[in-house]
Amino acid sequence: MSAELWALAIAVVTAVSCALCGSLLVVNRQSMVSEALSHAVLPGLALAFFLLRDYNSPWLLISAAAGGMLMIWLTELFRSTRIVDSDASLGIVFAGMFSLGILLVANLLRDTHFHADCVLEGNLVLAPFDRLRWGEVDLGPRDWWLMSGIVTLQLVFILVSYKELKAMLFDPQLAGRFGLRPKLFEMIWLTVVSLTTVAAFNVAGSILIVGLMIAPPAAAFLLTQRLSHLLIVATALAILSAMVGFLVSIPMEIAPTGPVASSAGLIFLLVYLFAPRSGLVSQHFQRKRKRADTIECLVLQLVADNTSLDHLTKNWNSVLRSLIDRELLVQANDKMLLTSFGQSKLDSMLAEL
Amino acid sequence: MIELLSDYTVRLVVIGSALIGATSGGLGCYAYLRRQSLVGDVISHSSLLGIVAFFWLSHFLTGEGNKSLWVLIPGAITAGLAAMLLTRSVTNRTKLKEDAGLGVMLAIFFGTGLMLLRWIQRSSPPISGQAGLDDYLFGMAAAMTSSDLWMICSLALLSAITVLFCWSRLKILTFDEEYAAGLGLPTARWEVLLLALLVIGIVIGLQIVGVVLMVAMLIAPASAARQWTHSLGAMFCIAAGLGATCAASGAFLSSVQKGLPTGPVIVMFLTAVVIASVLLSPSRGILFGRQRLVS
Repeated sequence: MSAELWALAIAVVTAVSCALCGSLLVVNRQSMVSEALSHAVLPGLALAFFLLRDYNSPWLLISAAAGGMLMIWLTELFRSTRIVDSDASLGIVFAGMFSLGILLVANLLRDTHFHADCVLEGNLVLAPFDRLRWGEVDLGPRDWWLMSGIVTLQLVFILVSYKELKAMLFDPQLAGRFGLRPKLFEMIWLTVVSLTTVAAFNVAGSILIVGLMIAPPAAAFLLTQRLSHLLIVATALAILSAMVGFLVSIPMEIAPTGPVASSAGLIFLLVYLFAPRSGLVSQHFQRKRKRADTIECLVLQLVADNTSLDHLTKNWNSVLRSLIDRELLVQANDKMLLTSFGQSKLDSMLAEL
Repeated sequence: MIELLSDYTVRLVVIGSALIGATSGGLGCYAYLRRQSLVGDVISHSSLLGIVAFFWLSHFLTGEGNKSLWVLIPGAITAGLAAMLLTRSVTNRTKLKEDAGLGVMLAIFFGTGLMLLRWIQRSSPPISGQAGLDDYLFGMAAAMTSSDLWMICSLALLSAITVLFCWSRLKILTFDEEYAAGLGLPTARWEVLLLALLVIGIVIGLQIVGVVLMVAMLIAPASAARQWTHSLGAMFCIAAGLGATCAASGAFLSSVQKGLPTGPVIVMFLTAVVIASVLLSPSRGILFGRQRLVS
């Protein structure tokens, strides 16, 4: 496979892992945790890289994930002691950790390929050239294997604990009564999110992680009613945005990160506008139809009551005409009469109300 | 040090940064008390799109890209407000909650902003004046010019006057919105004013702190100040003072020392101040105030 195809493959696996994580975050109303995490993993990553000077050491992953957990723990500490509001502490802690990371990168690591820009955008273009080898055999890019491993981990986690997961997400109190421990469970899950963030950080940088973790699941949230459907649709939309973004980035000759995040956002916007039931456009038409129905119902009722329609303004003529056209009303000697069809229509409308 | 301070550019940068720190530190009190720090984060990230788009527009209209704050700040305000309105529309009209709405705005505005930025940097023939546009990511105090300083002064003055004149109403609205509505204040209109103040508190500092870290410049002084006082007036003054000190010293350090992006340096100062306040505060601090905190 060519380098570009491998890069696309890596982007797709990353998108899948982010979408799986993000779906649960969106349902659990913790979306902004991914924003904070994607910044907070930087100092651990930079520090471990500075000490070991080895880009492939597993310690990089471990120390970065530990940094992420430290941020979550600090935020939780601030929140539970009520020293600082929870969302303020999230802002302060991740900004502080990210600054530390940036300063480390800008000073200690100045002569490496680890620079401030790839903190935001990652190194997707270079990722295919970092191969995993087994003796003499070339197995493919390391990042692809890493992200596939993460996806497997997530899938196992979700499939094994699917029922418990649903209980925790939708009714934590009930889950507590079943003897589950929502806090512990949340911590385990956030560890997985943290690991994913770190693994994706190399390829995707902080911006893409937020984009892929929240936008596709949020769009899927508008389209589906069940958790299983949400996970599937979110994954599909994430893959779609990875592909679209990647294709856009090639003629523009820029890193794919921005375009992928941007297309994830645009896909959300499209869904928000045109989703079949909850989209803005369909909401608009639903409201319009409801209003027309109410007016028709009112007119039919007026006719049924034998009320004079003379005082109705001209605006109502079109309503009357459409009712006559649809044979709900007939005109006889300057008077309107309900047809039998009109009577049954009125009855059904009133029953609906 | 005295020699450096007498240098014209350094003096300009230090004065400008102090003004910025005071303004966003003070205005940050409202954001902190109204729990809007994540909103602030999203506004600052989103403004990248406005900055880049208005820069490109200036290039398109005049043939030369203009990086003056007089062009870029209106762009930042437009994009920040657009992101907020869109978030509000998403949360009001769908079952999505605010956090997801905010996260999506990051993808739309920051993602697209970064894409445009990289595209402008890459474009051939090169767009004149684009060098340094990417300093808006992590901030570059040394890029400040005297016309930028005037922009900063007028924004600072505008927000100071607004806050002074509307002090008591903003206070009521911040602490008890229902009571404010009961008093007959048109809360929706005052909400807009508070949102405008929030946006000003953010866009004023984008040049020196950068879009990525601006939330700390807004929130950190307020949360440090909150540890020391229970009165809004005092909190406002302390936050403005802390903000000014940290911003000025951070900007000074980064403009005399090479290789230090301004934003992170300022945020490190702010973080130190927050940690010190959280540990040492007499009434709420972790070290000396634990008993009272638990009760």
